[in-house]
Amino acid sequence: MSDDDALGPDMHPLLGFLESTPPAAGQDLLERLLDGRLDPADAPSSYGELTRLLAAATAPATPEELTGEQAALAEFRALMPARPPTLVPRRAAMPSKLLTAKAALAALVAVLSIGGVAAAATGLLPGQVRPVAEQAPPTTAAARGLGKAAVADLDNATQGLCRAWQAGKGSDNGSRADASAFQALTAAAGGPEKVAGYCADVTAGSVGDHGQGQASAVGPDATAAARAGLCRAWQAGGGTDNGSQADASAFQALATAAGGADNIAGYCADVTAGSVGDHGQGQTSPPSGSRPSTPVSPPSSGPPPGAGPGGHGQGGSPTTTG
Amino acid sequence: MLGPSFPELLAAAQGGDEQAFAVLWRDLQPALLRYLRVAAPEAAEDLAADTWVSVICGLGRFRGDERAFRAWVFTVARHRAIDWRRQAARRPTNLVPGEQLAERPAPDDPVAQVLEAQSTQAALALLAELPPDQAEVVALRVLGGLEVGEVARIVGKRPGAVRVLAHRGLRRLAKRLEAAGLARGVTR
Repeated sequence: MSDDDALGPDMHPLLGFLESTPPAAGQDLLERLLDGRLDPADAPSSYGELTRLLAAATAPATPEELTGEQAALAEFRALMPARPPTLVPRRAAMPSKLLTAKAALAALVAVLSIGGVAAAATGLLPGQVRPVAEQAPPTTAAARGLGKAAVADLDNATQGLCRAWQAGKGSDNGSRADASAFQALTAAAGGPEKVAGYCADVTAGSVGDHGQGQASAVGPDATAAARAGLCRAWQAGGGTDNGSQADASAFQALATAAGGADNIAGYCADVTAGSVGDHGQGQTSPPSGSRPSTPVSPPSSGPPPGAGPGGHGQGGSPTTTG
Repeated sequence: MLGPSFPELLAAAQGGDEQAFAVLWRDLQPALLRYLRVAAPEAAEDLAADTWVSVICGLGRFRGDERAFRAWVFTVARHRAIDWRRQAARRPTNLVPGEQLAERPAPDDPVAQVLEAQSTQAALALLAELPPDQAEVVALRVLGGLEVGEVARIVGKRPGAVRVLAHRGLRRLAKRLEAAGLARGVTR
């Protein structure tokens, strides 16, 4: 490669430049490189190899990189059913998934029975999942005067269901909608075509009215804020003994909601990220990104844990009632 | 980037339009995969799939333009990568850290591959050998196509700190490439 010969005489000044603090012009050049605004042809010889490296890293997509498309579309169909799903019961063929779903359903029932206030308010027993769920779509429950705890309870339980759904992703998405637990999810959403939106709301870490709702929300680990609190506690202990943390009673509810102790980390990453951006307290100091024109933060794109007060306020009260 | 067609595609995908989602996926997946090859090389494919599941679940609630969408997707991917690294650290069979790998003379030296074949995979492997904080920022800037402020939000650092990390990463890469190029020139 003749470029190497051409670079030869430049090497010593270059290395000297790299060792020392670069001049401002160098920083500008680096920013242009990072932005992809530096044409390799315009790059000074000392940046030639680096420019080529970055060009290789951002080369056009290869077919191999797009091989996951069908799997991604299958997930999309499973999670966002635009059309009525074809219902073919295959419960026996998916014991592990059903198990996960059952765990999530157990969480739903447990939370509902804990949130007795909510159940009493609707005149329904805890086990009557569907009627309670139908009365508590996140966007209208507050307006109806339904206990906000019920909203939060369902939020929590539905997160578990969505997680269970995700945990079982893979071969037979189509049949997953038939599992009884996911029928409860469908019922909670108010119909199969509404599952996606409903699921999106709760897995994004918040229902719309939590900003105002958390003051009156009750029940252990019933609120998104409390969930975030549990998650933060979990994350604070991360790296040392997460394995044993899962056994602590305080985290058992979390493990249940996450669909298993192994899923807590991922579960919490979403919960805490979503809660930061979505809860009232976070609004006092919105992260000032470089693009203020962006209207609303995306669901899970809040600053990482610790960057905002998020759910801390209510996080300490998961065990005050029960 | 999809440009003017993005809002329509997003709305359609949010309404359950599979083809619209496919367009979004094809537009972002290569960049996402490459970012994850830097952030968590051994699990990039799986983590990319996991990322999309989260994105699909949150899609109905997303509000924002294409840049915000992109930033969100990479935020989710970063969480997946962090989770994976955390779990990998707890696994009994510890993977060899990238820094140690970098000092081993591998038969398929990524530097040589970058210099000679301009291989994308080799370029990503080189990026992955940077110290993690530098690699992350460079990858989000270059592969994610994100701006300084967007990266700063994603990684929870100040924009100035993001710039410094990215510049350090680039200089380290340049140093390595130039040294390799010089060595090749000498041995030739």
